[in-house]
Amino acid sequence: MTKTVVDSRGTACPGPITDLIRAYRKSANGDIIELLATDPGVRADSKAWCERTNNELISLEEKNGVFTVEIRISGKKG
Amino acid sequence: MVNEMKSIAVVGGGAGGLIFANTMAKEMSDDIRSGRLKIRIFDGSVHHEFQPGYLSVAFKGKNPATMRKYLSELVLPDVELIPENCSRVDIDNKYVVTEKTGKKFGFDEVIIATGSRPDYSQIPGLSQANHDFHTSASASAELFKRLEKIRWGRIVTGIAGLPYKCPPSPNESAFLLEEYFVRKKLRKDVKITFITPFLRSYSNETVNSVIEPMLKERNIEIITGFNLESVDPEKELLTSMEGESVPYDTLLLVPPHSGAPIFKGVEYADEDGWIKTDKYDLHVADYENAFAIGDATDLPISKAGVEAHLEAVVVAKNMISQMQGTGERYEFTGRLQCSMETGYHQATFVIGTYDRPIERIQPSLYNYFQKKLMERIYWASLKGGYEWLFKWHFGEDYYRKSGKEKPPMQTPKVQNV
Repeated sequence: MTKTVVDSRGTACPGPITDLIRAYRKSANGDIIELLATDPGVRADSKAWCERTNNELISLEEKNGVFTVEIRISGKKG
Repeated sequence: MVNEMKSIAVVGGGAGGLIFANTMAKEMSDDIRSGRLKIRIFDGSVHHEFQPGYLSVAFKGKNPATMRKYLSELVLPDVELIPENCSRVDIDNKYVVTEKTGKKFGFDEVIIATGSRPDYSQIPGLSQANHDFHTSASASAELFKRLEKIRWGRIVTGIAGLPYKCPPSPNESAFLLEEYFVRKKLRKDVKITFITPFLRSYSNETVNSVIEPMLKERNIEIITGFNLESVDPEKELLTSMEGESVPYDTLLLVPPHSGAPIFKGVEYADEDGWIKTDKYDLHVADYENAFAIGDATDLPISKAGVEAHLEAVVVAKNMISQMQGTGERYEFTGRLQCSMETGYHQATFVIGTYDRPIERIQPSLYNYFQKKLMERIYWASLKGGYEWLFKWHFGEDYYRKSGKEKPPMQTPKVQNV
């Protein structure tokens, strides 16, 4: 299991989700991706993305305008 | 005027590299002709292609030869074209090495404009199965020949992986396919499916709100959140990382792209080879004498020719200002302007900046003509032509003045041999 921090702070939609998808391609089931973003759209997008791809949204917090989204990769087949 | 001999290396002769080099040549011609300034552009390509034109070749049968010119014809006489790619860019020691002959050229300043290229290695089976409308005029022409033979079946188009250049291009392919088969009166027998790893047909919500209803209205199937893992060319089957399958008869995906291979593993690039670039003055990592423009950068904006153009102008203006001692500094605004053809002589645009969200723009004939105008003026714009038009069009987004002043340049050490 590895944890990858993806820093998308300062990027606008679709920056955070683009960075998440790129990190997802390199990840394996059990890995954690921590996505940092300042675009508020990341809240809805990360939830919807986890639902669509069967990955687990562990937490989604906002502090001082920075969203921290923690996702456990669990949706990959095999 | 330049006081000491100075040498600038431009690595890559795409739109950004050409506009930078030719702009410098136009503004600094006295210094170049008197031997105080040398501008070299390194690129092993024989031709330069107008990449937005690939769609017209692939889906409208336009002659691919009209989309290319000899690179040597696009370089102004005051710029020296070295017809080789570089195998190494050593910013610390200020030299580049050419790929074929291994020659070493010193520089005082370097502009990295090496673009992006399809990276088929990321998705097994894709290169064997795909008909690529996105990468060359000749491949696009081959696709058009294939389209002419199709009478029925399922065509899958869309995005195979991220990142890729020209964000609207996959959507345009769906719109233009639909128009093509409607005009051929075969639409009811040809199913068109659009796949994307994003959650919407277009990644940005504002643009998506314009185009997704149009795609649905035209009966184009949309599969979002599809992370393509592999393609089985024999079974004609796409499989996602999550185990979903999509069959196809003809596959037209935009492949994921990567940076130039020579930058993988260098400290001033990320792990995928994208150059770490300042979003405003475009300097590379912590270097004051290295700049990156266009697709080669890691900037969080579209990889498209217009960005390369505007970035090239900013870097050129700053360099000219520094050489002329005016003290003026300029910044890139992050302006996007990607046209998206939606079929039937209509187009919209994806427009925004670092500070301004993407606008909602309805497709129109006027937008379509603007897109076509760019085709007309493209070749001249590479030589620094029509700057008045771009300045007028982009207004305050063309570049903006910065408060920061660049520190004095170090004494040049020209190492060219």
